Amino acid sequence: MSRKETIKSAFESMMFVWGEPLDVKVAADIFNIDRKEAYDYFKELQAEYETQGRGIRIREIDKSFQLCTWEENDEYIQRLCTPVKEKRLTQSAMETLAIIAYKQPVTKGEIESIRGIKCDRVIEGLMKKELIEEVGRSTGIGRPILYGTTKVFLKNFGFTHITDLPQMEDISDVIRESEDEEREDPLQITLDWQER
Amino acid sequence: MVYKVKLDVFEGPFDLLVYLIESAEMSIYDIQVAEITKQYMEYVERIQKVDTALAGEFMVLAASLIEIKSKMLLPRKSSEEGLDLLEDPRSELVQKLLEYKMYKQIAAYLEEQEERTQRIYEKPKEDLTLYTKEADVYLSLDLVPFVKAFELFLQKKKRMEEVQKRYSSIKQQQMTIESRIEQIKQLFRGRKRLKFRDLVNEDRTRQNVVLTFLSMLELIRQKAVKVNQNVNYGEITFTINEKDMVAEKGE
Repeated sequence: MSRKETIKSAFESMMFVWGEPLDVKVAADIFNIDRKEAYDYFKELQAEYETQGRGIRIREIDKSFQLCTWEENDEYIQRLCTPVKEKRLTQSAMETLAIIAYKQPVTKGEIESIRGIKCDRVIEGLMKKELIEEVGRSTGIGRPILYGTTKVFLKNFGFTHITDLPQMEDISDVIRESEDEEREDPLQITLDWQER
Repeated sequence: MVYKVKLDVFEGPFDLLVYLIESAEMSIYDIQVAEITKQYMEYVERIQKVDTALAGEFMVLAASLIEIKSKMLLPRKSSEEGLDLLEDPRSELVQKLLEYKMYKQIAAYLEEQEERTQRIYEKPKEDLTLYTKEADVYLSLDLVPFVKAFELFLQKKKRMEEVQKRYSSIKQQQMTIESRIEQIKQLFRGRKRLKFRDLVNEDRTRQNVVLTFLSMLELIRQKAVKVNQNVNYGEITFTINEKDMVAEKGE
């Protein structure tokens, strides 16, 4: 086995033991290799799992890698053990999170001015869920707290990096497209649902 | 108990306004302020009855809607070239509504993403102590420290024994007054009179004497026995009450 193969297979084992997202930095330090090199190996592993169509996949969360199940196998896992899914966020929490994700770092005042309503409780709830965190203080009057999203946010919403979020202009396209689909062929949607 | 009913339909004043404009099929760039303000106020009045604090949050926008409405009533000055130089009083509101709508769309998109990601499962971080725990200590122990440890143990044991010689341990009370009374009643079977000495003859421990004494006090209180003591520190004699004997027989 070449050195590269050895490292890659070691990374695989390490991810298995670690369970949680494994920081590329930590993995690179173990072999005393460049972070970029380690990152590439993880990426190669990720691609291998995908091309082989494995039931286990590797996902990246902000320069960390983690073994997880393939999303299409959801139904079978449900049949096996009906895992409890995390409670969905409320509409107001989702709106607040959207504003923070796109405008971060952002103060509570700015969020409230966009939503036109007080957001203390919602922000508190998002903090408790570790979806957002304090990232510093604004230089403005009163030095208000600035909020930003966390790694948990990236993980729970399936983004590998914060730059993965689609551009604001594209969002309306994405939404419009899905709306158009619904109008054109509602039957198609129903079929999709049954397939899940 | 106060029940708080939350009308979750609208997430805030802008949410309501967007809904009203869309359901009236108005262009967001050409809001008919008078009509929308009327509908908006109707809703605010309705929720005011349920939750004043929440209605308060909707009031700020209500005020600016009315302000815009009144500005719209004023005749707009046109310059000589016929160009409308005055800013449309609605434009600031339109900007805010557009921004809010944008985030509402992003929220919907995030919701979709969340739904998708919830279909992926991960293993929670396992208990790694299984791998990181130090090996059991005795395995790595030489004979010399082992012997030392044993000697230490023997010394400690010796010291403990010396201490224990001088102190007796206190035992927990094993019997209740109630059960002792039952025992005493058995002793009275077929006898009318008993001395206190006879009652504690079998077991003269301090605990038993106290327990028996307390039991007799209880029997005296119940008027089951009569008590007699001629001189201080003298013999205590108990005489069973005849009535009680009758009851005993009846049992």
